[in-house]
Formats: sequence, structure tokens, C-alpha cells
Amino acid sequence: MSITRLTTNGLTGTKYDIASADNYYMEPIATTLLASTTATITFSNIPQGYKHLQIRWIARSDRTVSPDYLKLNFNGDTGANYSWHYLIGAGSSALASSSVSASFAINRAVAGAAQAASVFGTGIADILDYSNVYKYKTARTLGGYDNNGDGEISLQSGLWMNTAAVTTITITPGAGTLISANSRFSLYGIRG
Amino acid sequence: MAFTYSKLAETTVGSGGTTSIAFNNIPQNYTDLVIKFSGRNSSGTLYVDDLKVAINSNANTASYTQRNLYGSASTTASSSNTNLGTFAVFGLNGTSTTANTFSNTEIYIPNYASSNAKSISVDAAVENNSGTINLSSLALIAGLFNVTAISQIVLSSYNNYGFAQYSTATLYGIRVEL
Repeated sequence: MSITRLTTNGLTGTKYDIASADNYYMEPIATTLLASTTATITFSNIPQGYKHLQIRWIARSDRTVSPDYLKLNFNGDTGANYSWHYLIGAGSSALASSSVSASFAINRAVAGAAQAASVFGTGIADILDYSNVYKYKTARTLGGYDNNGDGEISLQSGLWMNTAAVTTITITPGAGTLISANSRFSLYGIRG
Repeated sequence: MAFTYSKLAETTVGSGGTTSIAFNNIPQNYTDLVIKFSGRNSSGTLYVDDLKVAINSNANTASYTQRNLYGSASTTASSSNTNLGTFAVFGLNGTSTTANTFSNTEIYIPNYASSNAKSISVDAAVENNSGTINLSSLALIAGLFNVTAISQIVLSSYNNYGFAQYSTATLYGIRVEL
């Protein structure tokens, strides 16, 4: 592999990390940091040269009655081609639930307007073999938020029943209508 | 930014499947290991199976212990294992689950080259377009491998059904930048 990137250290001078350049297996593809509220986050034209994808986020929505969740859709498909499951702990008990033939995959544990200002949920979603055309795509997400009195930790999965390579990922609030300002979503590619 | 997130090995199961995936001679110059596994078992009958994670060909029951948190459909459970002689990860898609659907599992092993006991964490998902209990699963597992540095990891179907074509396993090394 050719050298694709060099790093610098501003305090001690230039640092050429050849080994890192040669082993650059996790790369940022795109990041959206919201300056104002928005209804939809879209990663489009996702490059197909990686083995896996990972999405990292901190997020909050305008849902008022309880914490929110995120809907995840692939390639613009909003048909009944998804299933999802989750396992959560909310402080004193564990809970699991599922939905089949759904119209989106789910990512729980997003703070809403019912949580204190400046409280955001956080999550990491892994989508393995996203460009493999023999597999349906499964996202596995670990997430959570804490609001000094309420909160939850969650492990969840979402299945998109389509073998197409993932080229677009759309994220929308589950029960709210807008994702809050200062939410951030970052898409990474992990090489194989 | 993970400058030191490096692929060490990758396996994609070919036509006809395979009985196991082995990572041998794992280099000892990283700090942590990560395995990303997307798998389906080859059972011709109606089974979801567990993923077996064997280390250093060690089958001693005293070498492995684990704690499990499990969810399936609307049920949850927590359990422990102390005598398996391997790690057992809930969930490996099989014939009874939606076609073309593969489990999504990450195994994280910090300080794998240490001579001290190794703590291991796993989060695993078996998706399925079904709300039937035990035909889908989510699992968080904390494990302890109580012996020497890890130089070999072998993945297999717990009940020896093998892995189906297109199952993949990727081993990454993470090196701390000191």
C-alpha cells in the first residue's frame, strides 16, 4: 500500500508516522455536525472500498415526552424490509423488544427534550460487509445516555433485507421531528 | 483517530463452507485485538447455534469464565459459565433464520499479549425477521481467559455445524501510541 497520509505534531515538530500511513485501516468518510436543527442526516455516495462501516454519533432530538430513538434506512428504502431488536438497561431492570417487517432499523438511546439541556445520547453502529451482495445487512449498535436520574444503555440490531451494497444511509428522529443542533454523526470506513 | 488500527488477518468462507476459522501466530506487538465476525452456520436443520471462541488450543475448563446478558424477542436473561473450556457467544444465524442473514459480532481483547489473565468483552447480534424467542438474540458478554498470552484464536460453530459461505472474520490489532 502506498503512503496516503502523514501526521504532524504541532508542538514538537513534524512527525512522519510511516507505519501509521501504511496501516491506515480506519478512515473518516464524512462527518455532519449540526449548526441548527435538521430533520434528516444523509450519508450518500458511500465509497465501496472498505470492508466494514462504522457510524459514531452524539444526538438529541425534539421529542418532548420521553427519550427518542433514531431510524436508520439504507439506499432510500422505506418499505417493510427491516427488522430490529433491542436489549436495554434503564437502571433497575433489563428490557428487550423487537419488530419485524418494519420500515426502518432502530437505534435507541437518543436524549430528547424531556432530558436536561445539553444531554445527548451517544452510539456506535457497526455495519459489517456492507458491500457484500450475497448478504442482507445487519447493523449492531451500542448506545446510551444518562440524565442524572434517568437514562439507558442499549444494544440493538437492525436488519435490512436486501443484498444490495449500502451506498446511502439516512438517519431520522424516531418519534421526534428534528435532530437537535450540536448533534454530530460521523461515518468511518474500516478496511479489510 | 485510530492510527494504529491495523488488519492482521481476514477470512472469507468459500463455497462449501468450513468447519472453523483460525487465526494462528498472532503477532505480539499490539496492545489490543478486535475481531469483527459476520457469520452463519451451515446446519441443514433448524438451528441457531453459538459461536465458539477457543484460545491457544486450550480446552481446560478452568481457563475460561464468562458472564452473559442476553435478550431475545421480549425476554432478557443473565447467566454465567465456568466450565465450558471455551468461550460461547450467543448467536450464530442458521437455517431457521431469515435467508442471507449473518450474525454481527465484535470481540475485544485488551492486553492480549500479557501474561496476566485476559478480560474479554463481546457484543453480538443475531438478526432475524421474526419475533420468536431464541431465533434472534442480542448478547453482551464479559469473559476471563485465565492463562498466558494469546497467540491463537479459533472460531467455530459450538455444535460443529460449520460456517456457511460468505461468513467473514477480520482480526485487527490496536497499538497504543506512546
